[in-house]
Amino acid sequence: MDKRLVPLLPLVTKPARYTNSEVNAQHKEWTEDRVTMALAFPDIYDVGMAHLGFKILYALINSRPDALAERVYAPWVDMQQLMIERGIPLTALESGRDVADFDLVGFTLQHELSYTNILKMLDLAGIPRRTQDRREGDPLVLAGGPCAFNVEPLADFFDFVVLGEGEEVIQEILDVVKAAKQSRTPRQETLRELARLKGVYVPSFYRPVYDSGRFQGLEPLYPDLPARIEKRVARDLGSLPFPEEFVVPYTEVIHDRVMVEILRGCTRGCRFCQAGMIYRPVRERDPEQLKEQVAKLVSSTGYDEISLSSLSSGDYTQIRSLVKDLIAAYRGCGVTVSLPSLRLDSFAVELADEIQKARKTGLTFAPEAGTQRLRDVINKNVTDQDLKEVVQAAFQAGWHRIKLYFMIGLPTETEADLDGIAELAHKVLAWGREFRTSRKRPEVTVSMASFVPKPHTPFQWRGQDSLETLRAKQEYLRERLRHPGIQFSFHEVEHSFLEAAFARGDRRLGAVLERAVDLGCQFDSWGDELRFDRWLQAFREAGLDPVDYAQRSLDPEEALPWDHLSPGVDKKFLVREWELAQQAIPTPDCRWDRCTLCGVCFNLQVANRLTEVGSGD
Amino acid sequence: MTSTIRFQFTKGQEVRFLSHLDLVRAMERAIRRAGLPMAYSEGFSPRPIMSYSFALPVGVMSEAEYADFRLVEDWDPAYFMEQFNKHLPPGLRVLHAERLPEGTPALMSEINAALWRIRLPQAEQVAVEKRWQELQAVDSFVVERQTKQGSRSVNLRPLLFGVPRIAREGEAVEVHCLAAVGNQGNLRVEELGLLLGFDSAQALITRIGQFKKVGSAYYPPLGNRGCTWTE
Ligand code: SF4
Repeated sequence: MDKRLVPLLPLVTKPARYTNSEVNAQHKEWTEDRVTMALAFPDIYDVGMAHLGFKILYALINSRPDALAERVYAPWVDMQQLMIERGIPLTALESGRDVADFDLVGFTLQHELSYTNILKMLDLAGIPRRTQDRREGDPLVLAGGPCAFNVEPLADFFDFVVLGEGEEVIQEILDVVKAAKQSRTPRQETLRELARLKGVYVPSFYRPVYDSGRFQGLEPLYPDLPARIEKRVARDLGSLPFPEEFVVPYTEVIHDRVMVEILRGCTRGCRFCQAGMIYRPVRERDPEQLKEQVAKLVSSTGYDEISLSSLSSGDYTQIRSLVKDLIAAYRGCGVTVSLPSLRLDSFAVELADEIQKARKTGLTFAPEAGTQRLRDVINKNVTDQDLKEVVQAAFQAGWHRIKLYFMIGLPTETEADLDGIAELAHKVLAWGREFRTSRKRPEVTVSMASFVPKPHTPFQWRGQDSLETLRAKQEYLRERLRHPGIQFSFHEVEHSFLEAAFARGDRRLGAVLERAVDLGCQFDSWGDELRFDRWLQAFREAGLDPVDYAQRSLDPEEALPWDHLSPGVDKKFLVREWELAQQAIPTPDCRWDRCTLCGVCFNLQVANRLTEVGSGD
Repeated sequence: MTSTIRFQFTKGQEVRFLSHLDLVRAMERAIRRAGLPMAYSEGFSPRPIMSYSFALPVGVMSEAEYADFRLVEDWDPAYFMEQFNKHLPPGLRVLHAERLPEGTPALMSEINAALWRIRLPQAEQVAVEKRWQELQAVDSFVVERQTKQGSRSVNLRPLLFGVPRIAREGEAVEVHCLAAVGNQGNLRVEELGLLLGFDSAQALITRIGQFKKVGSAYYPPLGNRGCTWTE
């Protein structure tokens, strides 16, 4: 770590965030022939340390003799102030070197409300915000992650952007940058080289065209540039390296445990869900390989929890045997197994006695919508009957707390759908009273988010409800949910609104973002840190209307700012899904049913890959 | 066959900003990496059976922390120390380990005094010496102590034992002093600062001994247990 921070440590909250002697941290020497990369997470250590993607890249880059990777997190507000007062720039954890000294500074884009932190971190690092202002010798600033699929609001700030899975393309990037470093290739030429890599997008090589304030499309500046950048995707996860060690933090961080990725992608096809579109197709990892990974990680970290992560862990073909084997193998030494994204189904209940964490925290069920009709619209393949059976079984198995997740403001939603949410909550409570075996009183927790239209989903065209409408819907539900056995919470509408504006934003939002940062906006996803009035001011001053970005329903014919960034899913598939949604016709999961022609497999030469064909659910 | 091992360990520069909770967590993980045959508690989330001496405040280092680990096998203490040290994070280091005879009182019930080493900028020497002159003449030094229950007055003077040693040490000045620790009376490090007139947040403080004080004799909870320090 940076020695200059030592005297500041007694003055800040959680000083262990800024120290670096964690077990398994890699302190590689800075030699001339090594390409240096800072993995920059745009939030504090406690959040960033949970990110599996960076753990993978960290191990992968550091395993190359000709490269090194170090970690960088956003300092919390108290530390930032001290750093600014004393003129200490942002440094990387391992070596304590200035972030500005790295060859590459890579950000991950996990959600829209972290964008201000990126600019703030560049400011603290003393790196010019805009690509055009960076000079030879400045780092190349790049980004990846889910929000890269509409990186346009950030286009002016990144020298290049990676679409899709990073494991393979990072090697190619390091090769290019290494060669450029040795031959002192000018920045622009290096970017030209990088733009030739599949999955790499150099925003400054494309010029947006607007007509009377409406986005018309992007023009490549050079004839050899692709009009569409396709994401990178691995055919077989088994061939990708996976870390054998994780850095073990001292201070408490979220998801502080062994994590292995049991499958990637999800083809359930929920129509609001971006992850379900951009990570296709489904690829499962071999269970034997997973067990080996777990064994290595448990012994190298000493963690007491193993988490099997994926978008929907219950869908892993051999989930039952995998979980049971792991539980049996680690029971003796106090190591537990958890499935963070487990859908509440009969399997979850079956594991009641074995997955202890679940019992403590309650079981989670995400019907997303309150009526069968709306669930058909969004393609959430859950019936009232499923819910009833599973919830009853859960109460019988001894649980007393059930969590329900819903979304409000979904396309075609009516009052009946809102009533449905309240009715479901009350029904679950009634089932609890009827079927519980626990002595504790049954409890239902209802958590409600607002619908946010996300790029590359069938609902991308649908504008978000107005703030007033969303607030009125929350109020409506609040009255109907009020009951001693029911706890409920809503996502703040201002958060969802900004998320929607940036999710569907174009390059002009870069100016808004800069202004917002100058006005003091950062850590926007941290409940009380969001300064909504300043955001509105930033929009106003840039002459742009956030309502237009977030709430306008778009025409499927019009050009979208993210059309050139392709996850491999065809736009015509999204249009078809959008039409089926309006008729409340569900689409089956191609993993167990026939191909529904989303285009990924054909476009990117991949296929769903299950470890045990035919055994299904 | 179960056994208990008591050991002395350091909390060095690298881990000085760990809270007690962080420290215990780091220990648990090192236990698992080292494959120590710990005894685990019963129940839903089994924990290794272990106990520690009084928690160190965040930012303070130590050369004399103590812990008792309950093992399900009878391990040679030297082997225990070697294995555990291989897997402890930098800054945490076992210095001595020994088998604890059945019936030995718990660390928390035995230890009642700590020896502190405080490193201060040279410029503060005069102030501390002057304060000590003043303290010698009085038997009370009352401050308000904030607790969870609110604030109450505490007389810090009797919590400082013997005569502190104040000496130049290169560019700095070092104060060695004995003070009460534990349930029968406890001098917090920031109170030590108040008492001796220095800013505890800016000082480099190390706990270099913990003892059972009997009269003016001090016995460490480990080793030959003979008196190793007198006032
Ligand atoms: S192309 Fe067909 S099989 Fe492949 S993910 Fe899309 S719908 Fe599924």
